[in-house]
Amino acid sequence: MLEKTMLIKMNQQAYGTTMFQILTEDQIEQIYYAALDVLEVSGARMLHTEALKLFEKSDAVVSDNDRVRVPTSLVEQALQSCPSKAALSDRNGKRSIKLQKNEVAFGCGADATFVYDLKAGERRKCTFADVETAAKIVDSLPNFDFCMSFGVVSDARNPKSHDRHQFMAMVKNCTKPLMVTSVDAEGLKDQWQMACLVRGGEKEFRLNPLFATYIPSDTPLVYPKEMVDRLLFATEKGIPVVYSSCCGMGVTAPATIAGVLVQTLADSLVALVLSHLQKPGMPLVLGGIQTLMDENRKSFYFGSPELHLTSAAIAEVYKWLELSSSAPGGCSDSKMVDEQAASESVMSVYNSFMAGTNLIHHAGSLEGGLTASLAGLVMCNEVIAMVKQIGKGIEVTDESLALDLLKEIGPGGEFLSHDHTFDHFRDWFQPTVIDRSNWETWTNAGSKTYQDRLVPEIERLLEAYQPEPLDEKLIQEMKKIISLADKKEV
Amino acid sequence: MMSTRTNQTINQTAQFRILSPDQKQRIFEGMIETLRDTGVHLHHEEARALLKEHGALIDDITVRIPQNLVLDALATVPPVTIVQSWDGTRKTRIEKNQVLFGPGPTPPNYTDPDTLERRKYVKNDASVVARVCEALPNIGFVQSLGTISDVTVSLADVYEFAEMIQNTTKPILSWSYTRDTCSDIHQIAVAMAGSEEAFKRCPNYVFYGEPISPLLSDFHAMDKLIYNAKHGIPQVYTPCCIGGATVPATHAGQLVCAFSESMLGVVVAQLLNPGTCVIMGGVQSIMDMQYSVYAYGSPELSLMSAALTEMAQYAGLPMFSTAGCTDTKTLDVQGAIEAATSVHSAMLSGANFIHDVGYFESGMTGSVLQLVMADEQIGMSHVVAKGIDVNEETLAVEEICQVGPGGNYSDRDHTRKHAGALWEPTLMDRQRYEDWADQGQTTMRDRVIAKARDIIANFEGPISKVPPEAKKKIEDILKAAEEREAKKAAAEKK
Repeated sequence: MLEKTMLIKMNQQAYGTTMFQILTEDQIEQIYYAALDVLEVSGARMLHTEALKLFEKSDAVVSDNDRVRVPTSLVEQALQSCPSKAALSDRNGKRSIKLQKNEVAFGCGADATFVYDLKAGERRKCTFADVETAAKIVDSLPNFDFCMSFGVVSDARNPKSHDRHQFMAMVKNCTKPLMVTSVDAEGLKDQWQMACLVRGGEKEFRLNPLFATYIPSDTPLVYPKEMVDRLLFATEKGIPVVYSSCCGMGVTAPATIAGVLVQTLADSLVALVLSHLQKPGMPLVLGGIQTLMDENRKSFYFGSPELHLTSAAIAEVYKWLELSSSAPGGCSDSKMVDEQAASESVMSVYNSFMAGTNLIHHAGSLEGGLTASLAGLVMCNEVIAMVKQIGKGIEVTDESLALDLLKEIGPGGEFLSHDHTFDHFRDWFQPTVIDRSNWETWTNAGSKTYQDRLVPEIERLLEAYQPEPLDEKLIQEMKKIISLADKKEV
Repeated sequence: MMSTRTNQTINQTAQFRILSPDQKQRIFEGMIETLRDTGVHLHHEEARALLKEHGALIDDITVRIPQNLVLDALATVPPVTIVQSWDGTRKTRIEKNQVLFGPGPTPPNYTDPDTLERRKYVKNDASVVARVCEALPNIGFVQSLGTISDVTVSLADVYEFAEMIQNTTKPILSWSYTRDTCSDIHQIAVAMAGSEEAFKRCPNYVFYGEPISPLLSDFHAMDKLIYNAKHGIPQVYTPCCIGGATVPATHAGQLVCAFSESMLGVVVAQLLNPGTCVIMGGVQSIMDMQYSVYAYGSPELSLMSAALTEMAQYAGLPMFSTAGCTDTKTLDVQGAIEAATSVHSAMLSGANFIHDVGYFESGMTGSVLQLVMADEQIGMSHVVAKGIDVNEETLAVEEICQVGPGGNYSDRDHTRKHAGALWEPTLMDRQRYEDWADQGQTTMRDRVIAKARDIIANFEGPISKVPPEAKKKIEDILKAAEEREAKKAAAEKK
């Protein structure tokens, strides 16, 4: 009988997703070998006594007080000891972010000084309430996977405790995993204690971390004490570290992209080795912002195409080394959500997503990270959805080729009323703020631009969305930790 | 002596792929099967007779094309075609992975760059669009962004071409209503080339024609294709497929349809003139089910255009792709999102002529503002697409070691030598907030408008270089065309 006849098309290989690659393996090897050379020849400066002792005890060479030169053998031991995968879990303990090869998660931007209020059309200082609001929005938007502190809480009682308040604002309003910044190791310790309360213990946290700590470095190959303090504390407690190596091309790094990749990799490998010497086997996510910078202001450009290219390439290097990666995406140098912010956001989200970067952060950040914007978050949510749609690739099967359907309908026919269309059109991207109405519909609705439509969309989201409440007892216990920090001397 | 590296493979550009070799093979087989079994409707008797003579099965207007005809046609398509500008200064190569961006043809409306109002497109707009394209560094070919409304209706295509070719040296992708106006355009191009021989040696424009989805070629589309094939004019023969409306809602099915529709043109053209250049592709997107609008800004457009480009490369044909267009009605963030997304996808795909840059409102309005904005996005995309140069000099190990941890690269020779290669924005603002605020808090939209107006006011283009004889000949061609159309109109009235 015909229906029992075996039908199989053999030896088929399909691309399950869109494929994107900047560097070949040979090119990646060149970059890796070059970075190892840098570590052996000129090394790094370690401005931390305890860390220097760790290096002294190893095969590394310590000279000139704080200069550390690291042999390849030690780097490769550290690489060997890195776990091939890790995960971040949400507030309820669900593993929602896989830190493993080619898994991508998106998060908002961090520690902006200002927020841009789209409705008022002005920039102002960020407050606790702003971070809470942003955390709510991030929790509600389907294309955000983790939350960072939207801005620096400027209304904290103690200027050195704002990181704890930021943690509270996020964990109360967002169940997604967090990526947190800390003022110092003390701050990180408090945040970790709060997370352990949520998680129900240190060991639980170690197994299912609620947050990763974001440690930026803005001087390549120099390790300030305060930064190393945090790195060592995180390593000790099993807090996943996102080591974010930032540089400005032609200022703090070579003006060639390959040179930037070499220096960034060398810088990150020192952090990796240090973490390994402290305690082998801790998850480390390597990333950073490799871009152009304003020489006078010492601030990084968040929208340059060099950043987009370097981010994608360094992610490929880390994948090859079986390490996790992070990069900024969805951010801009524009001062407000305009066509520039849109263009730069698309380019960074697109390239970092296609490269398979694990944690793409700073979505919605403006003005090189100085300003945060709710409108930027909502815009990026849509940008991410579009890029993901392109990343899905194209399914080629009998059903999708639809040759029989084509034959049935024939030349000059229509497909709109056919079941096949009804069965498949939901696979398409569904716009949220993007408007495809015709001229008449659009003008009748007031000729509103995308920016105009963002304002009510933000209001709608805030009204419609209630975050899952956090146990009041937990909040009280966390408040105790914060209030102790508030009372500390500056 | 240094040790020497061996066995190196390098990516000279970024690599981007949607379809695996097996997936491409299946879509190719789908095209073969569709042309052979389902067939196409061809409303052109001469073309049907030609196909019948070569073994196609004809049943009234349905033509079923055996696979050997398709394979034979693909065996004679040219691997490279060169288009040269009328002034001899610019050569454009149509070959695999050679990328150019440009606007699109024929929207009924136009955004006035002065008033910013949407209005009818007029003759002068064609020369303005051509000049703006000439001025923009990342725009590689020219289409009109409108349909001229203030000339004899049936000659809008000819006037458009006459206006544009005198204002640009970049290749024009022209269109026409009929074989008559197709021939008028050809004559204008010959006049600009200087002689019939000069044009034959190297054509100075590309023609754009359209079959209709699904699987149908009307009389005029095929008639123009035949004219251009016979005269060796490179031509685009591509449909606008609407997923879920004129073709299946599944992308693979849409690709089969689009591919088949273009292939009919390839087969006929190769039978008439083996080796003539036919470019496949088209607009590939979906029907927005909420508004029943053909979505020009959808990510599906990016995805299918890139995949169809891979099919063109698989078949050895050049590709006419789509990007830089949007469903927005005015220059705004939506237009920027949609254009950046499609521009980068199309760039990475390696399509040859990526058109519709500057379309607003799902192709209903043309805008040089959107075009100027997209020019900057194409520049950004190019930085990423060209990938990374990895060699001793760029790896800079010695440089990094000399500068040392935490050192300053600002005053280094290595930096001076390479910093010039970094991308310079023209519309992106990277100033600090205070400086930006002092200068009037401009958005990118404001800066785009200013740049477009500046080009229009100050960029002259090549018009002064047009030889007076050519100008005179164009006037004569237009006059003759007017007389012919007047006669036709009079005959129709009778």
